[in-house]
Amino acid sequence: MEFAVDPRTRERLQEARAWGRAAMRPAGLESDRQAAPLPVDHPYFAKAVERGGGRTRWPGPSGRPSADAERTSVVASLLLAEELAYWDRGVFVADPGPGLPETNVLALGTEEQKERFLGPFVAPDRPRWACFAMTEPGAGSDAAAIATTARRDGDGWILNGAKCFIGGASRSDWILVQATLDPAKGRAAQRAFFVERGTPGLGDFKIEKKMGLRAYESTSFTLRDCRVSAANLLGGETGGDSRAGFKTAMRTFNAGRPVIAANAVGMGRAAFDEALAFARAHDLLCRDRVRDRLEAMARVLRMARLVCLRAGWLADRERPNIVEASMAKALAAGLAQQATTLGIELLGTVGARGDHLIEKLYRDVKAMDIVEGTGQVQRVIIARQLVGLPR
Amino acid sequence: MFDLDLGDELDLLVETARKLASEELRPRLRSAEAARGVDGAVREAFAAIGLAGLELPEERGGAGLGPLARVLVNEELAAADAGAALALDATGPALYPALELGEGELLEGLLEAVAPPGARAALLELDPDALRDGRLHAELPWWPADRVEAVVALVGDEALLVRDGIAATPLPGAGLRAAGACQLQLEDAPIAGRAKGAAGAARARARARLYAASLLLGVLRDACDFSRAYAQERHAFGRPIAHHQGLAFLITDMQMAVDGARLLVHEAAWRLEAGAADAGAAAAAFAQCIDASRWVGPAGVQILGGHGFMADYPMEKAMREARALGLWLGGFDAAIEDAGRALCEDASAPLELC
Repeated sequence: MEFAVDPRTRERLQEARAWGRAAMRPAGLESDRQAAPLPVDHPYFAKAVERGGGRTRWPGPSGRPSADAERTSVVASLLLAEELAYWDRGVFVADPGPGLPETNVLALGTEEQKERFLGPFVAPDRPRWACFAMTEPGAGSDAAAIATTARRDGDGWILNGAKCFIGGASRSDWILVQATLDPAKGRAAQRAFFVERGTPGLGDFKIEKKMGLRAYESTSFTLRDCRVSAANLLGGETGGDSRAGFKTAMRTFNAGRPVIAANAVGMGRAAFDEALAFARAHDLLCRDRVRDRLEAMARVLRMARLVCLRAGWLADRERPNIVEASMAKALAAGLAQQATTLGIELLGTVGARGDHLIEKLYRDVKAMDIVEGTGQVQRVIIARQLVGLPR
Repeated sequence: MFDLDLGDELDLLVETARKLASEELRPRLRSAEAARGVDGAVREAFAAIGLAGLELPEERGGAGLGPLARVLVNEELAAADAGAALALDATGPALYPALELGEGELLEGLLEAVAPPGARAALLELDPDALRDGRLHAELPWWPADRVEAVVALVGDEALLVRDGIAATPLPGAGLRAAGACQLQLEDAPIAGRAKGAAGAARARARARLYAASLLLGVLRDACDFSRAYAQERHAFGRPIAHHQGLAFLITDMQMAVDGARLLVHEAAWRLEAGAADAGAAAAAFAQCIDASRWVGPAGVQILGGHGFMADYPMEKAMREARALGLWLGGFDAAIEDAGRALCEDASAPLELC
């Protein structure tokens, strides 16, 4: 049993902290003030690519990882996700790269698909994005209920439907769209399709106005008789023959929940640090009322971090972690919200001015209990495992 | 790097403790409570598998294990019967000042005092004014034992051993009755040994808190496991009551609370084993266990409904014992006092990763 952070990860966390402080926090505050996502040509993104960001984990067609490639354990990646979200969770999501669908493409994509869709991310010439489109106006957490359809048409597929709240959709080179071959057949009929930017029928991009996390775009779009080739079905022709489609989508979320949880812990920690700094500056720690609240907050945030790392540790050992991943997210999102609430109460009316970090954190953090399955959905997932709650 | 695997030695220890708990303690749950103690056969089985001297140095015939082994064993035993777990451990947390302050005299005196079968020791935290003219004067409303042969008192950075002048007046006891219950009085009690050291005293307090926290964890785990199993068998309105979302979510939240508290306990124990003089982590872990116990114990009863209230099921006992354990060793307020002090004194950020 061990709880220490190894020296190499510590070093990477220090680098992340320096980058977060110098680049992410200012970019996040800027986009929040402007109430708009960081534009594609914002210098932050170029700098992010310059320092090695925006790249794929895919080693390239040779199959050999490049010499400087470093394998990151899930535990280490969660610690990094916490540290980066500490500085700005919106910017963390806005970062260029193959993003959420990368895991799916790596797991189920054909070699040709990996080369075609991840290849440009091996050594990107400029900031590039990709995204995964599951959520629809009528189907959020109930992912089995999506209504976007895919219909076979000769040697291709015709997609029709509407997606919403898709991170980075309007700037993505391609979107991995989750669609159903037959809405009556539920999850078994779901498949994922690569839809490239500029494909006729892909359009109506609308960037949402949000309460927080403004640095990245959450975008709705439509697919109107949008035709893609057969080669764009994830997994190739065989991708269409199994239940892999829905399971693939769920795989993204199983890996994603602990990351969201780690982000939430980072945001909670940011709020806690604001509160602690304020309490120190105003000599409030000598008051039991203040100190007790801060102590309780530090304690539960540490607990949330450990629950989150447990989920990552299981993933590193390729052990089942459905319950642990959902627990991490359910717990961390709620506690991070409490941390921002504590911070805002401690700082008092400063929190109502609209120009203080604590108030931004309060708005930002709410999303953590919603994205990738609300806290209630996480509890349903846990209860299915613990007591066999029926679907 | 982060690793929750216990390793072969500790895995085996957990398995051994769990077997004893399920075969010897659980079936005697109510009889031990009525008898205010465990019977000789159980005591022998406990000693035979090496649990009696778990943390004693090997040269004193112990297993020489540390805080991690203790919290693991305590959780397993308390999941069956926390009162019996206390009854079986003669020194209890009174051992820690003797171990941590590294004075042979204190340890020898303590072990000698608890050598007779059934003898018990108590750990008290006292103010400096309890020590007058080289003698101790104190009164504690409750200690979970019927008899107390030795008291180790922590007064600031100093540990004092008392073997005479101890009056233990029996009480009914609200929980943990298998361990007994008494009001404890020290009247003009002479000091039989003493040792001093700030770091040792802090570590002793930390180990004592983890001792209590892990017993509490075991009680809460049983409240979760038992009520969850019940909720899957008991039907109402045409389905298992666990399949009503109101209860499903309650069961889920109970499990999360206990899992989270356990990780804090394990981390604090690991820190102590790694040699950290970190009193704050153990105090916080105990506080978190108490925080969870405030509602997890009652929720276990709630899930069983009327049956939860009756002595035919162990949930009412879990609720009582969880409450009693949360009051032990200064309880919640003393724990957050120490955890909070660590927060104030340390200028660095308490949640920093690197």
